[in-house]
Formats: sequence, structure tokens, C-alpha cells
Amino acid sequence: MHTAPPGDWVRLERHRLRRALCGAALFAAAGAAYGYTATLYPQSPQTVYLQVGVGNFTNCYTCNPQGQPENNTTVNNETVSVTGAAVGNGAPQAMTTNSTATQSFWDYYVYCSVPGQLYIGGFYRTTGATTAAAQVIATVPTALTDPAGDKLPFSSIKWTSSGNGDTGGEPFPAGTFVNGGQQSVGSMASNTWNESCWSFSYSNTTVPPAGTYTGVVLYTMSAP
Amino acid sequence: MSASSRAASAFFLAWVLSIIWPSGLQARTTAIDDSGSQALEPAVGMRWKSASPTRSPDGNLMVGTTTIRVRVNVMPWLRRSGRIYLALPAQQPGPIGLSWVTQGRFLSGKLQSGNRVLVYSGPITSAFMEDTLTFQFTVNGALMRRSVPVTYHFEMDED
Repeated sequence: MHTAPPGDWVRLERHRLRRALCGAALFAAAGAAYGYTATLYPQSPQTVYLQVGVGNFTNCYTCNPQGQPENNTTVNNETVSVTGAAVGNGAPQAMTTNSTATQSFWDYYVYCSVPGQLYIGGFYRTTGATTAAAQVIATVPTALTDPAGDKLPFSSIKWTSSGNGDTGGEPFPAGTFVNGGQQSVGSMASNTWNESCWSFSYSNTTVPPAGTYTGVVLYTMSAP
Repeated sequence: MSASSRAASAFFLAWVLSIIWPSGLQARTTAIDDSGSQALEPAVGMRWKSASPTRSPDGNLMVGTTTIRVRVNVMPWLRRSGRIYLALPAQQPGPIGLSWVTQGRFLSGKLQSGNRVLVYSGPITSAFMEDTLTFQFTVNGALMRRSVPVTYHFEMDED
């Protein structure tokens, strides 16, 4: 019969203990995790805001608390009354607006002067690298009409573009209405504020029948 | 003991100390097991910091908030002292800001990706340390075309 000396038993037990400890360590390691991953996703990141004439903001956006854009369904007018003596004399007739919008909602700076200027401005928000600009389109009727059915071509109305203290090009430049159809009146690069003040005038080169001529232009902003 | 064996013993002792001492001067950093942590929201919705664009770089920042029940396993450092850091490695999609508010077990703080910030320093008296952290991530909207995973971890510097 072989009997192991006491020293060998001690070595054997230590060896078993080490293996048991290794097993425990491996078991513990199997459930461990190091680091946490959060998934960030863009949530409702796209916003468009277009203001032609009066608009609504809860506050200006450089204010504290910062402003939020709101809806405003007001349709503003641009009008001119041409005296009988001046009709058709070729002298452009400045138009005026009933819009009261003078301040930029960016910083409440008085950017436009009423009633001679109509405010147009806005922005579009989108994520990702720089994308194509948003386009502002005017949908223009063929003509202005009076109750008798007489017509004035919309191309008899044009506008210039500026702004108090402004420098550089205008995002909504000067132009002349088309006689029916859609025309681009400006664009906005993503994540930038854009604004101009328009001064409308009637060309006054024809002698139409006396009357009140009206037409509605719809401005639409489309973001890519 | 002869003079030569004393000299050999002294050399051996000096050699051993020269190995031990440098590692004793530098803190050893080890990632901490945080498998017990739990997010209250599965994903972090990012919204514009400001509703409208601004003329400053801050105008394009997006922010998102999430709450994590943090539970880190500090059993390996039990009854010792250490410093726990929250680390946010540099990663895609680019620079990421992270700020957090705690319930008091850890320190509140903020950091930019590529850095770490101390959240605890002192004795480790229990096998697990727990706190509820409200995280706020900040990323430039130009980098956020789609969902992105952001990884952070806790690590221990032993005293």
C-alpha cells in the first residue's frame, strides 16, 4: 500500500484550491461587463419656419428664455391707390402694407419699416452635414382682377429688397411677379436665420378700367 | 553569512525594490464591472438645444437626456481606497459633451469625449456602489444624421 507523505497531501490540496479559485474567477468574469452604450438618435429634428408679414414667436430666440416659433394665419395686404391724374403715366406707385412686423424675431432688432416694407424671414432646421437649401416659392395668379372681371397682369408688381443696417446680398432678393405660376423668391441654407424687407411697387404703365383689383400670392417653403 | 553573500542579498533586495517601487508610485487603472447598471430609457432622443438657429456655434447643438441606475462592482477593491472616474472615450460621430447629475453617492460633473472625470474618491466600503445619474449628451446637429451609439465606462485608480 502506498501512503503519500504529509507534504504531498498539502501540495495536492493547494493545487485543488488554486483550480477551484481559478474556476470561481472565470465564473465571476463571465457575468462582468465594462462600459455602457447609449444610443443617441435625432428626435423630431426638422423644423421649418416662414414668416411673410406678421408672425408669432413666444419670445425672440436670443432672449432668455429662448423663443419658440408659433403659427400665425394672418394674410397681410399690399395696396396702392392711384389717383386719376396719375393712372398710366409710367411712374411706379409705391405700395404699402397693413403688416405691423418691423422686428426680427432673431433679436428684436427693428429690421423693416412699415408701412413701406413687408417682412419675410425664417429658417429650417435639419441634422447632418450641410444639405441643399430650402426654397421659398410664390404661387402667383395670372392677374389681379376687379369685381367686373377686369384684369391687371401680376407682372405689373415688382419689389426691391433691403433691411435696416443690412449688408451683403439678400436671401430674398428683388424681383417681379410672373403672370401665373410658381416662382422662386429666395432660399435658406440649413440652420441659418434668413430675412429681408420687401418694398412693393405697381408699374403703372397701363390705363385699366377704374376699380379695385385684387389677387392673392401664396408663399410656400419646401425643405429638402 | 559571508560578505559576498551579504552583497548578493543586498543587490537582490535592491533589485526587488526597484521593481516594486515604480509600480507603487503610479496608480493602476482598471475598468469597473458595471453590468448591474440599468437604463430607464432604451435610447436617447436628441433635440435642438435652441428651437431656432443662432449665429453662434451653440445654435446647432442637440441635447438629449437619459437616466441610468448605475451599479458598479467594486468588490475587488473592498476595504481599500480608490478613485473612480467616469470616462467618455473619443469616438464617432465626433466631439460629444456629457454632463450628469447624481443623487449624491457619486459626484456630479461634465466632460468632453476623450476625457474622464472623478466621480468618487475614498474608501471602498461595500462590494457595490449605486447611484441614479441623469445624463445629458450634447452633440453638434451636423453630426447627427442618424442614430449613433455612444460608449462610456467607469474606471478605478487604486491608491
